[in-house]
Parts: sequence; C-alpha cells; structure tokens
Amino acid sequence: MPDFSSSRVAVFATSCVVGVASGLFGIGGGVLLVPLLVLIHHYEQHRAQGTSLIALCFPTGLLAFIAYYRAHAVSVPTGLLIIPGVFFGGILGGRLAVNLSAARLRRVVAVILFILGAWQFVTPLVRSTAHAAR
Amino acid sequence: MHWLLIVALGFAVGILVGIMGIGGGIIVVPALVHLFGMDQRLAQGTSIFIILPPLGIGALSVYWKKREVDLRAGILCALGMFIGGYFGGEIAVKMNSERLGSLFGLFLMLSAVLLWRRKHFADPGAKNA
Repeated sequence: MPDFSSSRVAVFATSCVVGVASGLFGIGGGVLLVPLLVLIHHYEQHRAQGTSLIALCFPTGLLAFIAYYRAHAVSVPTGLLIIPGVFFGGILGGRLAVNLSAARLRRVVAVILFILGAWQFVTPLVRSTAHAAR
Repeated sequence: MHWLLIVALGFAVGILVGIMGIGGGIIVVPALVHLFGMDQRLAQGTSIFIILPPLGIGALSVYWKKREVDLRAGILCALGMFIGGYFGGEIAVKMNSERLGSLFGLFLMLSAVLLWRRKHFADPGAKNA
C-alpha cells in the first residue's frame, strides 16, 4: 500500500494550502512549507529546506502579486529599495551565522514575532470593544 | 519615509534571513506596518513584490551540492503555491485592512511557534528556508 503522507499528490495539496497563506499574507511561504514537509511528509530538515528553496526559485507569488497590484496595494518604489538590501544582507547574514548562536537568535526573533502578532491580533478587538462601550 | 531608512531595513531583513533561514516576508510586513506606518494590505502587496525574484538561489546552490533537494517535489510545490497564491491574494484584497491585520497577527503567532520549535538548524552556509 502506498504511503499517502509522502505521495506527490499529498505534497501538491499541502503546497496549495501554503500558497493560499502566501497570497493572503504577502509572504514567501517557506516558513510554513518547511515545517509541513517535515511534520506531515516526514522530510528530513535539510531536504525540506532545499526543496522549499527550489519552490521559491519560481515567482510563485506572481498571481497573488497581480491581485494586489490591481487593488493598488503595492508600493513598487519601496519594494525596489528593499530588494538589494535583502540580497546583500543575506550574504552577510550567512557569514555571520558561523560566529553567532543562530539558534538563540532565532528564538529571540520568535518571541518578537509572537508579541508583534499578539499585538496586531488584539488591537482591532480592543478598538471595537472600546467603540461598542461608548 | 526616507529612502535610506528603507534600504537599511532591507539590509537588516536580509541579515536575519541569512542567519536564520526564514523567508523575508514574515519580517518585512510587520516592519513596514510598525516602523513605517504602512497600511497592512499595502505592506503585504509590497512584500509579495519583493519576493518575486529568486533571492534564495545562492542558498539553493549550497543545498544542491549536498544533494538535499527533492527537485520534483519542489517543482510541484511551486505549482501548488502559484495556484493557491491566486486565491489567497483575491481573498486578501477583498478584506478590510484591519481584519487582515488581525489575521496576519494570528499567522505571526503561529510562525513564531514554528520558528521556536524547529529542532535542527541549517549549516551556516545553508540558509534561507
């Protein structure tokens, strides 16, 4: 009996879900694809990351970008200014990783992201209850 | 918004991407919203624009040499994300920015948990998941 969890169809279905999140939140999707490949499809961590990188070599967000662009929700000048920094910063970051405790830094960023997320999640709720109380 | 600050932001994001092997979008969006006061939808649209070029290709070559790549699955995933992205984008542009911001907040929290829990870590040279 074929193992459904690692079948191509299942991987494809997973990536469709990741794509929805990618378009919905304006992100690449690797942050979701890698853990899903590991947890659901039992990929080894490195292989999951390498496979995710293959996927991200294609402009997978093109259709989502077009949707945003049509809705005038893209700041092209800001984007163009950010791209070179990310590219060169990435090279520097890769070199820094040799000397830094990357695992610790990752946890610091996870905490920051969590707090930002909680803040962003709660703010509209607080605002609407304050509005309702008035 | 000073253009120099934006360039600096990109550089800072790139460093984090390189060190931790996470995508840039998850950091770019909150940075644009909270540091530059950009509208949530505009920040997300700008982020998706930034990641169109294959910025991770340098990192990919490292994985490729170590044969840590499932080429067929990767191409399938690209296709799935391409199709899924269309629906995600259509949903996002129809939502109001505040509700979208809330939902993004939930997603950030989930990503934070995933980031925290990841056991293994890529080699120094092998970055950018």
